[in-house]
Amino acid sequence: MPLATSNFLVPNGTFIVVLLAFVVVVWVIAKKVLPVLNKALTERQEQIRGELEAADKAKADAEEADVERQATLEQARVHAREIVATATATAERTVAGAEERAHEAAERIKQAAEAEVANARQAAVEEVTVRVGEIVLAAAERVIGREIQAADHQDLINEAIEAVRAESATGAAAGAAGARQ
Amino acid sequence: MGLTNLLSTPTLGIDISPGVHPQVHLGPLTIDVDIVWATLIAAAVVITMGLVLRKKATNGVPGKFQLLWELAVGAVQKQVDDTIGSRGAQVVPLALTLFVFIFTCNLFEVLSIGSTYDWLPAPTSDVNLPLAMALFVIVLVHRAAIKNRGLGGYVKHYFSRPFPPKLFFVNLFMNGVEELVKPVTLTLRLFGNLFAGGLMLSLLASLVIWKLGPAPIGAVLSVPFTVIWKLFDMAIGAIQAFIFALLTILYFDTAMAPDEEHQKSGEVING
Repeated sequence: MPLATSNFLVPNGTFIVVLLAFVVVVWVIAKKVLPVLNKALTERQEQIRGELEAADKAKADAEEADVERQATLEQARVHAREIVATATATAERTVAGAEERAHEAAERIKQAAEAEVANARQAAVEEVTVRVGEIVLAAAERVIGREIQAADHQDLINEAIEAVRAESATGAAAGAAGARQ
Repeated sequence: MGLTNLLSTPTLGIDISPGVHPQVHLGPLTIDVDIVWATLIAAAVVITMGLVLRKKATNGVPGKFQLLWELAVGAVQKQVDDTIGSRGAQVVPLALTLFVFIFTCNLFEVLSIGSTYDWLPAPTSDVNLPLAMALFVIVLVHRAAIKNRGLGGYVKHYFSRPFPPKLFFVNLFMNGVEELVKPVTLTLRLFGNLFAGGLMLSLLASLVIWKLGPAPIGAVLSVPFTVIWKLFDMAIGAIQAFIFALLTILYFDTAMAPDEEHQKSGEVING
């Protein structure tokens, strides 16, 4: 190929060929490349926007859930305090009732025991009275040397028995006072 | 040819002759084959990158390759939104292609070694490609202006500002010059920067003839200098690609702006 020198400031036929080449490049970039790239860019922007919106929504949801959780927790605390208060009151009432009942039972047992003691004493006094009458009669027989008819001296015997009774009653009253103390 | 001869100054003892190309002739047309194939290779690179992206593009987590594209598209999109607004959506593909394609072309200069004739020159260092892109852009800008204002409004526009309508001939002259200069500056800015980059590489390569006695000082220095310059040149390539795309957006902005804004800016200038 011949080498030739031409004025480098003056365009020549090369102009037409390079212009065509340039137009082809512009056409390819404008019609084939940029639309694809712009589509990818737009889609990515949409995608990112969607993701950001989703993230915002998730954050709002989380905050809402947190508020709800706090409220529930507070409600549960109040409820728990109420339960504890009720339980304490019930326990106090139960204890008070039990004490009262125990006092009553003790009182009843004491009274029954006292009544029993009084009965036993009474029985013992009765028995002693009868025995004393017999002993007195036997002693009197020996002293006076003859048999004394109980019927004949009933007045005397009754007098003796009354004396014993009066004495035992005084003793029982003194004993009961001692037991109370 | 005078400029070409000026650069091959005999006092330097070197011959730097820009404008040397393998050429073919198609009828009346002369075609620089190296510029054509470099352009085609750059176009193939950009198209391949685009098609690979098309295949790989995902709306999920993007790979590095897609991220790079998205970065470029995002930057262009933002620039267009900031200057033109939503009306400018149609400018985005053109501005993006300009940036990516020019940047790719400019990177070819890294492969250049500064010889008289490179097998893979940066096609933007030849006047044809920058001119082709600039004219393509300017034609579309004027089409957008006619679409925006209607043919009557478009023509009237040349006469009615920046001065009052009675000075219409001054207005026509100023606007005419402005519109004519736009493609020329767009072309020469890009072409000039890349062409100068290539010349700089040639100069650095020619440094090898500098010897102090038997010591090859120039040969030793030319290597680090070339490396530094190429790094710098890559930055220039990126900046020039960005400027070309940015100016395209700004020209479209002027063309697509509602008439009232122009009235207002005209009044401000008059005031």
